[in-house]
Amino acid sequence: MEKNVAYIALFAALIAVLGLVPQITLATGVPITAQSLGVMLSGTVLGARRGFLAALLFVGLVALGLPLLSGGRGGLGVFAGPSVGFIIGFPVAAFVAGFIVEKWRAGIGIASFAGALIGGVLVLYLFGITGMALVLGKSWPAAALLVGTFIPGDLIKAVMAGFITQGLAKLRPLSVLSRA
Amino acid sequence: MLTLTSPIETRLHTIAAGPKLAGLALATFGLMLTQSMWGIGGAALFVAGVYTAFGTEFARHGLRLLRPLWPFVLIILLWHGWTGEIAAGALIMGRLLTAVALANLVTMTTRLDDMIGVMERLAQPLARLGLSPRVLAVAVALVIRFTPVLMDKAGQLMQAWRARSARRVNWRVVLPISLMALDEAEHVAEAIRARGGL
Amino acid sequence: MSQPPSPPFAGISLEQAGYAIAGRTILSDLTLSLTEQRIGVIGRNGSGKSTFLRLVSGLISPTAGQVRVAGLDPAKDRKAMLRQLGILFQNPDHQIIFPTVGEEMAFGLRQQGLDKAEADSQVRAVLAAHGRAHWEKEPVTALSQGQRHLLCLLSVLAMGPNTILLDEPFAGLDLPTQTRLSRSLAALTQQVITITHDPAALQGYDRVIWLEAGRVRADGPVEATVAAFRAEMDRLGAADADTDLTH
Repeated sequence: MEKNVAYIALFAALIAVLGLVPQITLATGVPITAQSLGVMLSGTVLGARRGFLAALLFVGLVALGLPLLSGGRGGLGVFAGPSVGFIIGFPVAAFVAGFIVEKWRAGIGIASFAGALIGGVLVLYLFGITGMALVLGKSWPAAALLVGTFIPGDLIKAVMAGFITQGLAKLRPLSVLSRA
Repeated sequence: MLTLTSPIETRLHTIAAGPKLAGLALATFGLMLTQSMWGIGGAALFVAGVYTAFGTEFARHGLRLLRPLWPFVLIILLWHGWTGEIAAGALIMGRLLTAVALANLVTMTTRLDDMIGVMERLAQPLARLGLSPRVLAVAVALVIRFTPVLMDKAGQLMQAWRARSARRVNWRVVLPISLMALDEAEHVAEAIRARGGL
Repeated sequence: MSQPPSPPFAGISLEQAGYAIAGRTILSDLTLSLTEQRIGVIGRNGSGKSTFLRLVSGLISPTAGQVRVAGLDPAKDRKAMLRQLGILFQNPDHQIIFPTVGEEMAFGLRQQGLDKAEADSQVRAVLAAHGRAHWEKEPVTALSQGQRHLLCLLSVLAMGPNTILLDEPFAGLDLPTQTRLSRSLAALTQQVITITHDPAALQGYDRVIWLEAGRVRADGPVEATVAAFRAEMDRLGAADADTDLTH
């Protein structure tokens, strides 16, 4: 029990830290926040259930008023804002990513990339675009157009999630709970 | 850790968190249903009035919290300027800014402890599913304690990187940061087990 | 302190206890009865002394033989162990799990079944008894390294254990902080078991156990054991061991 709680809490903290560490720069020179990478890793490293709970704990603390979202945002206001779909989608994204790593017995790097891609990009954007369409009063395709510019960055994050999970599995095989 | 609660004590600070949250939920729902310019405009003026009534410092803090919304304001402006539906655009923008400002107002005037209290009460039915409120409280405390710890360590890591590289810190630091989270989780689990487990 | 009396203390015993993980044997064939008031466990890095502490305290189960604390299995009966054993980790940052001093100290007491109000008042009493009443609401990040060590000790003392296990208590502390901490430790009425690589930390102890490669190399009164340990360390230091890759 305490092991689960500790991992869930530390990954909620990891999601926060990856959103707050400044300027992780891609090869192209575009600065991105790694927050959604933290969500992907929660799923691919901790597995579906714990990953879901880690992201849910993170979202809950944001709602309670901690400035843990990238750029130091937080509080109830973000749930009335245009990014609400992405935030609510975090736990589901982590769950789907973890589910794929647990069920698909391919190499952990490949499975994690697939999980991050389907959970952390596809599912997350379904939530995110829907939320944006509702809040901004736009059609779904129009909202998709608005966030489309961020998709290449997130595809790269999915690749990173694959490599990082593979690296962690090599260094701490017992701690990568999605496969332990 | 820093919270978003405003250090400027207002009359709203004295109202219990539960009623404030219930009020916020109702008001937000009302805003979503309102289609009239007058309704939204009135609500916006009212919220702005409440902010300014608590002093310029407080109001400025509130404005700062709205700043991340500017790209969306810009998009809506361009969009509706293009299509010519200015009124519809103003309605959407007014509703968004008012709802966010109102929600921020509750966050700014409610202490973290009180919010955690509400959360624990709301989570009480979950005890039957095996999630004791105490476990939830420990989990929340752990995140509050270890976010700054991981943050510090991430900072040290990036300094160590810069000390030996002219290139900017890139995504490769995410692996060691994640590794620290895993190792820290093991230590925490052991520390809790040392005092009886959960 | 106003706590219900603990069960009579029957010491810690190991019977052919061993521990192996992932095919590597860390500890083997340990048969010991630990009843003295002050016991030191000494050894080089990698000798297995940290694992020994985890084994005795029940954080891990032996993979061979058995460990008993007051007649109970410390790995199984965690609740009973709260009254028997308090553990002070080497790095206070691995031990402190809560954001404020008060919460950190109250955690162990609530684990022992006290309700929130009882735990809080007990925390205040312990802090006041050590002249640290003003610490209660402080964030743990505001404490210095030495103060965090003391917080860990106070958190453990508040739970009233019979035995306190210390893992390298002085590692990384500056001299004044070491002096203050060792004064606090010397004043303890509990049994103390100290794990260390530094023989100087064991002055005035009743017994010293020297671990080498997971086995007891020597066991006896402090002067003789420490002298033998020092002689061996000097010998190893003089031999240029770093060039020896076949070791």
